[in-house]
Amino acid sequence: MIYLDNAATSWPKPPGVARAMSNALTSGMGNPGRTSHRLSMDAALMVQECRENLAQLFAIANPLRICFTSNATEALNLAIKGVLSPGDHVICSSMEHNSVWRPLVALEERSVELTVVEADPNGITDVASIERSIKVNTKVIAVLHASNVNGAIQPVAEIGRIARERGIAMLVDAAQTAGSIPIDVEAMHVDLLAFPGHKGLLGPQGTGGLFVNERVNLRPLKEGGTGSDSNSPHQPLYYPDKLESGTLNVPGIAGLNQSVRYLLQKSVAQIARREATLTRRLLAGLMKIDGVTVYGPPAEMPRAAVVSFNLRCMDPVIVANELERRGDIACRPGWHCAALAHRTQGTQDTGTVRLSPGSFTKMTEIETVLGIVAELAAEHQA
Amino acid sequence: MAQQLAVFASLNQVALVKRALHREGVHVEMLRTPRCLSHTGCSFALRCSTEAIALLEEVCRKWKIEVGGIFADTQDSSPELDNVLLDE
Repeated sequence: MIYLDNAATSWPKPPGVARAMSNALTSGMGNPGRTSHRLSMDAALMVQECRENLAQLFAIANPLRICFTSNATEALNLAIKGVLSPGDHVICSSMEHNSVWRPLVALEERSVELTVVEADPNGITDVASIERSIKVNTKVIAVLHASNVNGAIQPVAEIGRIARERGIAMLVDAAQTAGSIPIDVEAMHVDLLAFPGHKGLLGPQGTGGLFVNERVNLRPLKEGGTGSDSNSPHQPLYYPDKLESGTLNVPGIAGLNQSVRYLLQKSVAQIARREATLTRRLLAGLMKIDGVTVYGPPAEMPRAAVVSFNLRCMDPVIVANELERRGDIACRPGWHCAALAHRTQGTQDTGTVRLSPGSFTKMTEIETVLGIVAELAAEHQA
Repeated sequence: MAQQLAVFASLNQVALVKRALHREGVHVEMLRTPRCLSHTGCSFALRCSTEAIALLEEVCRKWKIEVGGIFADTQDSSPELDNVLLDE
C-alpha cells in the first residue's frame, strides 16, 4: 500500500512502538498512581519519561504541565471549556477543524462571544485582522498551527506575541504539526498546546495531550480518581492530576513514549525537511496535470505535508476509490471534518481529495501517485 | 545509613523527582506514604538517604513541587513509631 493519509493518522509506526505496547500488556504495566507495587511504579516512571520526552520535543519547561488525553479533540475541549466562561470573548480563524469550531459554537450558545477571523483563500490568517478583533473581554485566541485541509501554516508566533502582550491565552491546535514541524512553546508564546499522539508524533491511536502554561488556570473537563488527595471531595489543584482523572492509557503512552524517543533521535527538523521535499514534488507534479486544481498556499510557501486537490468535476470519493483500486493508494476524500476551512477555500460544495505524506513516505510512491492521477485526468478530459 | 521519607501529594511528582535524582546518580525508592504521614488520603513518598535531602529539595524548588514533609524513617519499624518531622 502507498499510505498517504498521515493527516488522519500516521502509518507505519517507528520501530519499537508496537513492541513497547505489547510489553506493557504482556510483561505487565500496573495502574500508575494507585498503589506501590513494582508494576504500578514502573508504569508511573514510564509515563513520566514520556512527559519529559514530550517536554523536550516542544521546549516545555515543566513536564508536569503536560496532561495526557485520548486525542487532540479531547485536549482542545479541555482547553476551550476549561478556560472560557459566559461573557468571555474568543477569537479563532476560519480554517479551524471541527474539534475547535464545534466546542466554540457550543459555548457561543452558552453566552461566550465568538469571532471567526476570515483567512485568505489560501488559508492564511492575517495577524492584523486577529489583532483588530481583540476586545476587552477577549480571553482566548485559538488558532490551528497548520490546516488539515490544505496544509497552510498560520503565523502562530506572531499571533502568540500579540496575545501575550494583551494577556490573552493563546491556544494552538497542533494536530497537523506536532512531530512534523518543530514547535517551541516559549518562542511561539503558546499557552495551551493541544496535540494528538497518533499523527506526526507517530504513536498509537487513543493518545494525545495538552500543555498548559503556568499563566493559565484550567477547570477540569472531568473530575474523579487521581490517586492523590483521595480523602478530599475536591479535585487536586496541582498539575497534571487536576486534569487527569481516571486510569491513563498506559499501553498507548508506552507506544507514544517510544515514538517520541524516535523523533528526538531523528530530529523533527530533519523530518520536516524530508516531508517538505515530498510535498513540493507532489504539488509540482499535480499542478502540471491538466484538469487538476490544487488548493492552499502557493508551492513556494511553507506548508505542512497536506495537499488537497480536485480533478475536474470528478467526485473526490470516486477519485479516492480509483487511486486505491489502481495503485493501492490510501488517501482521504471529502470535507475532512473542517467545514469552515472548506468554506474559506471555496470547496464547501465539493470537498477535496487529500494526500498527506508522512515520515516513511518514499519519493517513488509520490511518483506513482502522480502517474495515476495523470492517467485519471487523461481519461476524464473535459 | 539514616533514611528519610519525603512525602508528596502525587505519584506524578514523585516520579519526576526520582528521575531527576537518578540523573544525578542518587538512588531513591518510591513508595506509598504510610498512613500515619498521609493526612489527605492516598499519597506517595520517596525514601532516600539524609545526604540526598538537600538535592531532593533543590529539585523540588526547581520544578515548583511542594514537599508534604520530610520524616526520619527507621525502616526496622513503622515510621508511625518514629515520625520525627525534620523539615516542613
